[in-house]
Amino acid sequence: MESKTSRFMRKNMAAFMTIVAFMSLLLVWELVARFTNAGMFLPPASEIISKFVESFTVPIGKHRMLVHIGVSLYRVGVAFIFATIAGIFLGVSMGYSKTVEAIIKPIFEFIRPIPPLAWIPMSILWFGLGDQSKFFIIFLGCFCFITVNTYDGTKNVDHVLLGAARMLGASERQVFFRVVLPSSIPYIFAGLQIAITAGWSAVVGAEMVRSDEGVGWLIVMGMTNGNTVQIMVGMLAIGIVGYILATAMAKLEGRLCIWNQQQGI
Amino acid sequence: MESAAGNIADVLKCSHISKEFDSFDGTGKNLVLEDIDFSVKDNEFLVLFGPGQCGKTTLLNILAGLESPTKGEVVDHGKKVTAPAPERGVVYQKTALFPWLTVMGNVEFGPKVRGFKKEERKKIADHYIDLVGLKGFEKSYPSQLSGGMRQRVGIARAYSNNPSLMLMDEPFGHLDAQTRYMMEEELQRIWQKEKRAVVFVTNNIEEALFLADRIILMTNCPSKIKKEYIIDLPHPRSYVDPEFLRLRREITENMDKSM
Repeated sequence: MESKTSRFMRKNMAAFMTIVAFMSLLLVWELVARFTNAGMFLPPASEIISKFVESFTVPIGKHRMLVHIGVSLYRVGVAFIFATIAGIFLGVSMGYSKTVEAIIKPIFEFIRPIPPLAWIPMSILWFGLGDQSKFFIIFLGCFCFITVNTYDGTKNVDHVLLGAARMLGASERQVFFRVVLPSSIPYIFAGLQIAITAGWSAVVGAEMVRSDEGVGWLIVMGMTNGNTVQIMVGMLAIGIVGYILATAMAKLEGRLCIWNQQQGI
Repeated sequence: MESAAGNIADVLKCSHISKEFDSFDGTGKNLVLEDIDFSVKDNEFLVLFGPGQCGKTTLLNILAGLESPTKGEVVDHGKKVTAPAPERGVVYQKTALFPWLTVMGNVEFGPKVRGFKKEERKKIADHYIDLVGLKGFEKSYPSQLSGGMRQRVGIARAYSNNPSLMLMDEPFGHLDAQTRYMMEEELQRIWQKEKRAVVFVTNNIEEALFLADRIILMTNCPSKIKKEYIIDLPHPRSYVDPEFLRLRREITENMDKSM
């Protein structure tokens, strides 16, 4: 029997270590920025944090921090939804039909390695300077991950399960909806998790295309004005929101795929 | 419940089945099954017994309609088998349960895809879940169950379509010895209650003798039928009964050595 304190310690050891590591990093950063020449290029951590906290009440540019985050989230959200629909549809079609696979896969594999940022000029040309071109760039940032994972999922369906479903009287349509799709769900979710993070990372690039708000804009504007604090405040906001998004996605997967979580017990 | 087979004596006829695959290097053919010819009678527990890798799973897949033979044909109730059908239930080697469905979801899968109403299929599923002794586990997922319990779900799932023929592919091969003995007894009990024609594949002689009405001894690759044994020992059988041991010795001596 371990005591209550030691159990508490064991359970929270990882969290404790994380906090210590984080604090040490901030401390070293602060000291380096304040007492060495590096301070010319690196604003102290305390300044960034206080500016970040302040930005929730005092606007940067035209808006307060929550508006910047909100606008960026909206852009990522719209693009992510479109990417999810398109990615799952394309992934499933490629995985299920040899014809679609033969037609689409080479084109897809060709487009995949082109980074979303490389699309900026063409996207301005096609969609203008408004939100549409931002949607497009973020869409490209998440779409491929969802497609590839869905495709893998449908390809990896256990053949014995397909046979079992057919033996039990399932039609091809039922085999698809009741076996192929559900068994791909863990793969699809893994794709969605990578994609939401990738899409959120693409927001900076997307907001390089003329904008007046958004966390990406904070960085782009900071760069134009040589305002290192604002740049790093933008980075901090992206980091925090990105972390929350990834965690939320993992939680959602845990709830929807209970059966998969418990494998191996 | 009674079998759907009525008074037709032969449920399944397997006539002169041969099966060959392209060999691994692609230059020739590998003959796996050679001139397999037998039939399964109504309510008969037939065991296909033979050494290790001798194409028994392939034969079972052909009987199921999941694979087609190179030569010969399989006839189920006068109809040639060309595709999977719910009249033939399969219990798999590695359970093959749908991991995203609960025990209930797995057992009612057959009736569900065949368009049974909710209350009807629940009634059917409840009956078989109870029969295999899993009452209370309806909401569990396969990953939460032990190997033996999973195989029980597999048996209930196959029964839920009320098939006239059950095909079982070494269903207890992955279980530990203790669970295996228990599951053999359980299967015997279930089958006594809900008799069906069963084709049961195994490479375990004790299991074969414990369950079978008739044992078909297969040779090593390519598989042929070597000999047939009618086993008319009364149930429940004992592993140490002198006649059991005599048959065990006789069949083992006639069996090809596995490679």
